[in-house]
Amino acid sequence: MAEKTKPESFSPETAPTKTYSLVELVKAPTTMADRGPDNTIFAFPAVALIELLLTLGVIVVLLGMSLAVNAPLEEIANPNTTTDPAKAPWYFMGLQEMLEHGHPTLMAVLLPTLMVLFVISIPYLDNDRTGSGVWFTSARGKRITLYTALYALIVMPTYIFLDSTFPPRELLRGRLPDFLLQTIIPAVVMGVLVLLPLFVLFVITKKPTPREIMLVLFTMLFVSAIVFTLTGFLFRGPGFKLYWPWDMPGGYSPWDNL
Amino acid sequence: MQRLKEFIVNSRVWRSFFRHGWPDNPLDRSLVMTTNIFFHLHPVKVNRKSLKWSYSFGLGIIAAIVFGVLTVTGILLMFYYAPTVERAYGYILTLQTQVPFGQLLRNMHRWGAHLMVIVVVFHMARVFYTGAYKPPREFNWVVGVILLLMTLGASFTGYLLPWDQLAYWAITVGTSVAGYAPGLGPTARITLLGGPEVGQEALTRFYALHIMIIPAAIALITSLHIWRVRKDGGLAAQDAPDELDEGENNG
Repeated sequence: MAEKTKPESFSPETAPTKTYSLVELVKAPTTMADRGPDNTIFAFPAVALIELLLTLGVIVVLLGMSLAVNAPLEEIANPNTTTDPAKAPWYFMGLQEMLEHGHPTLMAVLLPTLMVLFVISIPYLDNDRTGSGVWFTSARGKRITLYTALYALIVMPTYIFLDSTFPPRELLRGRLPDFLLQTIIPAVVMGVLVLLPLFVLFVITKKPTPREIMLVLFTMLFVSAIVFTLTGFLFRGPGFKLYWPWDMPGGYSPWDNL
Repeated sequence: MQRLKEFIVNSRVWRSFFRHGWPDNPLDRSLVMTTNIFFHLHPVKVNRKSLKWSYSFGLGIIAAIVFGVLTVTGILLMFYYAPTVERAYGYILTLQTQVPFGQLLRNMHRWGAHLMVIVVVFHMARVFYTGAYKPPREFNWVVGVILLLMTLGASFTGYLLPWDQLAYWAITVGTSVAGYAPGLGPTARITLLGGPEVGQEALTRFYALHIMIIPAAIALITSLHIWRVRKDGGLAAQDAPDELDEGENNG
């Protein structure tokens, strides 16, 4: 590139005379030694190399997995012979598990729709920019997430087990109206279980930030979704009853469903 | 060696491919990104913090890579498949037993599909827990949720294609859920299946959705997703306070 000559007006002789005085001392970060003004580096080749390595890694992992385990293939489809259990693909097993605990419209349609709508609207419910780009936003956020996750990990499997072992819908059938048993009671139970940690958050912190409310709700939904999916996928055997994954009757293995 | 490199890089043939010199200086490194269609979704410069492995775990990039693997293996699988009730299952058997590397190809597509669902879910969790959905990235979060749903759709429609017992009953169970929706539920289910039960119409529709409509939509919307990442200022990692600032009152 051709060297540009500085315009003459920039020489000290012609510069306008101006005096400076110290007005204020500001507490600010020290000079960024050895860093650009915004701490950036060129994307090429750094990012390109990362992407190349990740591509190779993904291919190696998939190839290894594919050499080790064959994709399942059962007998040709036969509409006249139902498999037992008949399961949806694993990522929908959370939904199928939900069906065991209440009216299908509530469990498989209303609650999942509500969940998706909530997840979509998270950034509009919590639009405070602070804490963006930091895992869990703060030390308190980390604790809130941890305790909520632990709560969900204990309460949700317990609920699934109790509700399957002593199903109120079966035990109280005929004594209470179906709508109450199938829809109202399960909805209230679900609602209380999911919202209880939020209530605790309000009691303990008095005035939680929107981010902290989102941490509780999202963690609750995320961990519950994992618990329901794993239960449906791993712990449901013939007759869609609860078993240990390694102790399924009739030679059934949940892993064959992948 | 140096002279050979310079001769090649400065030759007219090379220059007709790449409109920049060897990328060992700021100008050419910028031009790599701005003049190359495969790189142009990237910014020219990235913040060091956004490259930190423990920040993003590379999940978004991995999801895109797995989608690429699925596209390649999926196209190869199409050479050995036809979506008819009579022949689909036979094609899978032939693929597995007689086509060289056919079983491996099918395995890679199958496990890749599962991996993509897992990676996309964890990518969403990562974005949530790092607060990366906050302004100005709200819309890209919405786009991401749509991509997650489309990933599930792509996987679900592909699940039927082998036409074995597993596929048949999984789709029967999966689509029966749609029928429970009040109002439009039963209509939606019949629209998806092309009839009251899983049959030839369902196989045809799922095939069209699986190989064309959903992948095309995912490719398009992923472009939007990645482009928005750049337009919204890169990864949110750089919004985080500097290590130098921490512990200091920099209000």
